[in-house]
Amino acid sequence: MIKNFFLIAFRNIFKHKVFSFINIFGLAIGIAASLLIFQYVRFELSYDRFEANSDRIYRIQLDRYNQGKLSTQWAAGAAGIGPIVKDAFPEVESLARLRPTNGIVAYKNLEFREEKLFFANDNFLPMFSYSAIEGSIHGALADVNTAVLTATAAKKYFGNENPLDKIITVNKAASYKITAVVPDPPANTHLKFSILLSFASFVAQRGPEVNTTINWDGFFAYILLRPGTNPKLLEKKIAALVQTKWSDDMKKNGWNMVYHLQALPDIHLTSHYMHEAETNGDGKAVYFLLVIAMFIIGIAWINYINLATARSIHRAKETGIRKTLGSLRWQLIVQFLFESLLINTLAVILAFLLILVCLPAFNAVAGKSLSLALLATGGFWTNLAILFIFGTILSGFYPAFVLSSFKPISVLKGKLAATTHGALLRQSLVVIQFMASVLLMVGTFTVYRQLHFMQHQDLGVKTAQTLVVKGPRVLDSTYDNQLSNFRTEVLRIPGVSEVAASTQVPGEKVDWNAGGIRLVGADETESRQYRVIGIDYDFLDAYGLKLLAGRNFSHEMSTDTAAVLFNEAAIEQLGYRTPQEALDKRIEFWGKQYTIVGVVTNHHQESLREAYDAHIFRLIPDAEGYYSIKLSRNSDTWTNTIASVKQQYKAFFPNNPFDYFFLDDHIAEQYKADQQFGQTFSLFAGLAIFVSCLGLLGLASFVTSQRTKEIGIRKVMGAPVPSILVLLTRDFLRPILLAFLLATPITWYVLGKWLENYAFRIPLTPWLFLGPIALILVVALLTITTQTLGAATANPVKSLRTD
Amino acid sequence: MIKITDLQKTYRTEEVETIALNKLTFEVKEGEFVSVMGPSGCGKSTLLNILGLLDDPDGGSFIFNGIEVAHFNERKRADLRKRNIGFVFQSFNLIDELTVFENVELPLIYLGVKGPERKQRVETVLDKMQIMHRRNHYPQQLSGGQQQRVAVARAVVNNPKLILADEPTGNLDSSNGNEVMTLLTDLNEQGTTIIMVTHSEHDSRYSHRIIRMLDGQAVTENILI
Repeated sequence: MIKNFFLIAFRNIFKHKVFSFINIFGLAIGIAASLLIFQYVRFELSYDRFEANSDRIYRIQLDRYNQGKLSTQWAAGAAGIGPIVKDAFPEVESLARLRPTNGIVAYKNLEFREEKLFFANDNFLPMFSYSAIEGSIHGALADVNTAVLTATAAKKYFGNENPLDKIITVNKAASYKITAVVPDPPANTHLKFSILLSFASFVAQRGPEVNTTINWDGFFAYILLRPGTNPKLLEKKIAALVQTKWSDDMKKNGWNMVYHLQALPDIHLTSHYMHEAETNGDGKAVYFLLVIAMFIIGIAWINYINLATARSIHRAKETGIRKTLGSLRWQLIVQFLFESLLINTLAVILAFLLILVCLPAFNAVAGKSLSLALLATGGFWTNLAILFIFGTILSGFYPAFVLSSFKPISVLKGKLAATTHGALLRQSLVVIQFMASVLLMVGTFTVYRQLHFMQHQDLGVKTAQTLVVKGPRVLDSTYDNQLSNFRTEVLRIPGVSEVAASTQVPGEKVDWNAGGIRLVGADETESRQYRVIGIDYDFLDAYGLKLLAGRNFSHEMSTDTAAVLFNEAAIEQLGYRTPQEALDKRIEFWGKQYTIVGVVTNHHQESLREAYDAHIFRLIPDAEGYYSIKLSRNSDTWTNTIASVKQQYKAFFPNNPFDYFFLDDHIAEQYKADQQFGQTFSLFAGLAIFVSCLGLLGLASFVTSQRTKEIGIRKVMGAPVPSILVLLTRDFLRPILLAFLLATPITWYVLGKWLENYAFRIPLTPWLFLGPIALILVVALLTITTQTLGAATANPVKSLRTD
Repeated sequence: MIKITDLQKTYRTEEVETIALNKLTFEVKEGEFVSVMGPSGCGKSTLLNILGLLDDPDGGSFIFNGIEVAHFNERKRADLRKRNIGFVFQSFNLIDELTVFENVELPLIYLGVKGPERKQRVETVLDKMQIMHRRNHYPQQLSGGQQQRVAVARAVVNNPKLILADEPTGNLDSSNGNEVMTLLTDLNEQGTTIIMVTHSEHDSRYSHRIIRMLDGQAVTENILI
């Protein structure tokens, strides 16, 4: 029996090559796309789930409030909260504390700038399930001036030497003894480090208040809860503790802090606060992609259902004969399911080939690094099995049900010829397919418009032709002079027009968050938080920041060490409506008084996802964060210019690696994730529409062939070709137009929600919808016309003779 | 072998009610060859479908081999059908995707006959129908006469007690038609009961008896031998 099913299924596949191709190719695209997306989603969801304790580790996240209003949200919160919580609550088994830093790490004559340095306490490695390759993780970070390297860092500094007990220096200022080497943190952890320095060293350098203060933010605190502890309950207990300990001060000064416990595995996709250990993933984008995967595979399944039921008339005779010869209905259902199984099997094989061929292209577009190693993962096969079984049953069951339901008498007598069996269902499914296509197509357009908008918006600062050199970390008392001389020498290099030193450059979060700032004489409750950028005298000119009132810092004004510039958002926060009002006002800034001497325009310090921030510019002429060097327009000379800058840098700041980047690249980096999301989105949207059109092609071909006789008769009666085309096309356009109508409000809502992620965004206009819809319509019409044109122009004598 | 009494069948659509069989009563004995004739719409095909257990009567009795089968469920009907009844249709109704051999093999598959025995039985019957040399051809590669011989081969491969033929020569020229009628006569002579619906007076002369129908009733019977 099975052999017979197999035979007939195979022969049907070969006999109806076009339909088989549409089904198999469409399903293969759906399966391949879904598998790739699932694999990516699986990776994103796997973050921080590998630690043995991952379900018991929580990060203490801090929300600060000012006058009842949320002011800042910290991933790395107050320094003292970890020890305070650990001491107060026995349900906290262990506490890991980390303080991010960076610096120039040196061993003998090897020097590298390390961006992934952390001070970490001794509990960190055991809590996060690290094992030691060399040494032991227990006690490795207990003492002052000890350090732990990852395997990669060990190789980088020590080659094949054993690093244990060797001494590295950080910024040539402090020495650390290597006590252990651990494996590199896996790709799917949010907490990646290259070198860990003992937290005890940080305490020794900065004083014991690090263990108690709640006024200094930027410290990660992870707690391991004892089994059975309810984190929600603990969160409440922490809130109560905070109220007990600091309520007087909080009431008096109008501030508040609320601590939340973030489950470790949730951090990567849901946490986007100040001082994250790395830029976390976008949970929404992950789920968006998952929906797209569902769309594509769903559209392919719909094609199968549509084509199988549309063609059921051709299979009806077989059904009739088989029933006459004694087949039972369930046997027929099994037979047609078997056929669906065979089609799905072939599709899976083709999907494999597609994955093999397209994996590099997918990685390039999506910015991922999936490798063929994914074939070796259990998850891949589970996903494949689910898609295969679900697809076979879902796509095969309805057609099998329809096909097996035919009454043998009717079909064998040819009474079923003009059936409209399932036509309504087919049309409904076409509506659903095209609704999905509209959503994806309009989505693609919107994502790209938003990206284009963000990348071409005036940032309020001049960023072009800016070479940014990272400031030195290994410094001595002559730094002021060295910087001044460096500046003079660099300005002499041909092609350099300006040099400015600052603590930050545009295109990144401002690290320096200062609270407690208020007008002199104002009540402490008036205090607000501002983001502070230290700049030199040349920064405003170099970056083209416009003064709205007052003046820039000036060499002539010796009092400018106590002067500040505010931006528009900052004076607004201070309570002034116009820049002029704010001029010459004096503010309290951490125990000192400063005068507002100028007000500058707002600029986009970060991506356009973020709103304008309240910035204060402080005069720090020897700021050591970055040196911004403005180059001439002629990019041919840049290589030489950079070489000359490097020469000067090495001369003035020996023991410091020369690291630089172009500011435009730095700014574009912020949009990399958006851009990759856009590319991935459009790739899969394109595939979804392609698979929809494949289905439409099949249906159009089928319906046209079914109406050959009708077309012949109409032509004999004198119908012109265009009227036949209209006749044939009209039936297809109806569901597509209905899909447009139904999809528009849904799409409007979904995209509106998506755009809310961006503080600066494009408006949703009808044009964003009309363009893509017109495009889909044209593609659909072309698809239908390829089939109908042949039928409409055929000689009617032929079609009538064949009937 | 077959005894039907007051058999009734009515087709209803939203607006029209058509009485296909109106208290039809007759009997067919084992080994008989009976023709059913009458104008279009007289109920011939409905009768054949009910006799072939492809359709239910609305009322009356249908006794097949001494068993009342009028209200059998699908499973029982299918089981009785595949063991006892062979069909020959005007339009042959062969499955286009299967070869001659595979088409003839199909009833044996549903009967659960094992592979080697199937092969032997199919080859025997194809040989008998003189179509063995075409065993690997597909239906569309055969002439109408050859296709109908394959259909007859398929109808008899499971040695049915009854063959129901629905205008078996309707799509054939006279020489092929005669050939098929000769085949049916041979089968009948070997003991198979045959009920044939036909419009052809010529074909009906091969049978023993003609039942003439009008408006769902048997109006006359002609005994030919």
